[in-house]
Amino acid sequence: MDWFSQLTSGIGVYVALVVFTGGMAWRAWQWSRTPRSAVRLALYPKPKTAAGRFGKLLVDTFAAPQSFRIAPAIMVAAVLFHVAALAAFVGHLRLVHEFTPLVAVLGVEGMNTFAAWSGGAAGIIMLAAVLYWLGRRTFGAYKNLSVPEDYLLLALLLGIVLMGDHLRFVGGLHAATYQAWFASLMQFRPAFPAELASSTTRYALDWHMLFVDAFLIYFPFSKLTHAIGAFATNLVRSSE
Amino acid sequence: MEKQTIDTIVGTLDKRMNRQLQQYLDICARCSICKDSCHQYVATGDLKYLPARRSELIRQIYRKYFTKAGEFVPALYEARDPDENLLDELYDSAYACTGCRRCMYYCPFSIDNAWVVAAAKGILIAAGRGNEMVSQLTDAALFKADNMEMFNDIIVSGFADVEKELEEETGRHIPIPVDVAGADILYVALAGSHSIKPAAMIFDAAGANWTLSKFEAANYGFFLGDPAKAKLIADRFMNEAKALGVKEVVITECGHAYRVAEMFYEAWAKEKMPFKVRHILEVIDEYIKDGRITVDPRAIKERVTYHDPCQIGRNGGIYEQPRDIVKAIAPDFADMTPNRETQWCCGGGGGIVAMEEFNDVRIKSGGKKVEQIKATGATVLACPCENCRLQIAELNDVHDLGLRIVPVMELVAEAMVGPSAGPAA
Repeated sequence: MDWFSQLTSGIGVYVALVVFTGGMAWRAWQWSRTPRSAVRLALYPKPKTAAGRFGKLLVDTFAAPQSFRIAPAIMVAAVLFHVAALAAFVGHLRLVHEFTPLVAVLGVEGMNTFAAWSGGAAGIIMLAAVLYWLGRRTFGAYKNLSVPEDYLLLALLLGIVLMGDHLRFVGGLHAATYQAWFASLMQFRPAFPAELASSTTRYALDWHMLFVDAFLIYFPFSKLTHAIGAFATNLVRSSE
Repeated sequence: MEKQTIDTIVGTLDKRMNRQLQQYLDICARCSICKDSCHQYVATGDLKYLPARRSELIRQIYRKYFTKAGEFVPALYEARDPDENLLDELYDSAYACTGCRRCMYYCPFSIDNAWVVAAAKGILIAAGRGNEMVSQLTDAALFKADNMEMFNDIIVSGFADVEKELEEETGRHIPIPVDVAGADILYVALAGSHSIKPAAMIFDAAGANWTLSKFEAANYGFFLGDPAKAKLIADRFMNEAKALGVKEVVITECGHAYRVAEMFYEAWAKEKMPFKVRHILEVIDEYIKDGRITVDPRAIKERVTYHDPCQIGRNGGIYEQPRDIVKAIAPDFADMTPNRETQWCCGGGGGIVAMEEFNDVRIKSGGKKVEQIKATGATVLACPCENCRLQIAELNDVHDLGLRIVPVMELVAEAMVGPSAGPAA
């Protein structure tokens, strides 16, 4: 690994994970230490039971039906993006361990084909959603509401997705190669396997990881803390 | 701006900080989904009325003074020191906000921009930029509370005059009791007889053991954005209720007064009240359903529609009782679309009707309500909130709607049959 690879796909990964995990924990701890509003801030109607409130919290957070009714286009983009991002994340877990039950069903070739199609679809959907958001924020009537943070996050996402899509569609390397690199990360001895080290694809991987690292490091200090905060604020909506 | 003023502003925000406010400031994605939910932004397209923008102004100060990231890289968040420009925009966006919380309803994270606006008003007051008219009305209410011995006789004789008026109108003596210790109900009305006479007729017909508060329900401290003063104003009738030992405080047809008494007061007072708080329409609905008052189901011949005041509906949970009451006396009832939790704000909440500088945006922002009313074809609008009635009355004139705008209880008084029936108000 050269210094750039080490920075992005080696040591950078550990730094990003530590900052992300610590930062999110810090943010949650900060919120928990701030006293709750004594005033009731619920909206009506609201469920009468705790179970009902919990159910509504899940619906509001994961489906946001009210938002869909008033702004269907952006909500479709948001849901598609989040689902695709979740699918991509799950797909990346293959780097940690092969999905053996799926391989047993689909066979090695079938698994690779499935991963290629599902990963490719996720990558295209994420790219389309990010471009839509970028366009909406740049050319929309309310662009004056946007701040540099909004563009930074979109730029990082665009970088992650573009490089990810490059690895998926152009890279030409199979999962086993990336698994070897990932195994080295897990053993705290980051190194590229020979096939990756000798391929120009590693540049795409390095840039992909640079954007991922930066995104994870910035995450806890950004509006993206809605990833955990939205549960709390949506609960207030139907609180007692 | 002087450092001392900046320190005051930051200190005020610090004092107002709580978990919900902090989360609202931290997590807003500026997705602008709220833009189509706000009657003011829809009517004007002006950025300062976009709900997320109202909060963004506070967020800029919060980022600068309450987060390390904003302190070190302010440009990334447009974090900044408060200055006169910021306060100018904040004044317009905060005092124009009617607090309807329709934006919160539609926000995917349920961000309560009205809660952030409440903090914004606190900042404006601390910087000496609170709304002057509302501030004067607040101080007048507090002066009355502090000098009750000066006003007591005037108030009581005023109630006696209302009693006489009612006798002339109905041909019967309908008492307006005051200072009744141990009464079941302390009824808190508005200034003027319009919210007293129909209630007196209804309480009398129902045989209720009630007493009238010497203090009006309206709370300009709430509109001003000063919780300490708002509490002192509400203290007047809450302490009266405690002293009289009533079982419940019943708030007249006034949206914010009901929300202050039911949703805010115990939190401000840091104590549980020994009585419950109800809206007058909850009580009247119960009277009709329990047969304590009898109404003519065909009394109101015209088509009637009902406006859900934000503070009673979306923010208070009272949707069905008023509709049930209106349907019990008016066979031709037509609901507006949308209604209940998605209804449009009429544009008159949050004390804006008392602030002349917002007259243009206020009337413009009533456009959605006008469309809704027209679509029903109704000629009578039942409306249980004074501010909404004032606003819709003005819309009525401007758009020549030909509406009769009445409190729900006034329609009930018209529709009552039996011993207490007769023309009211």
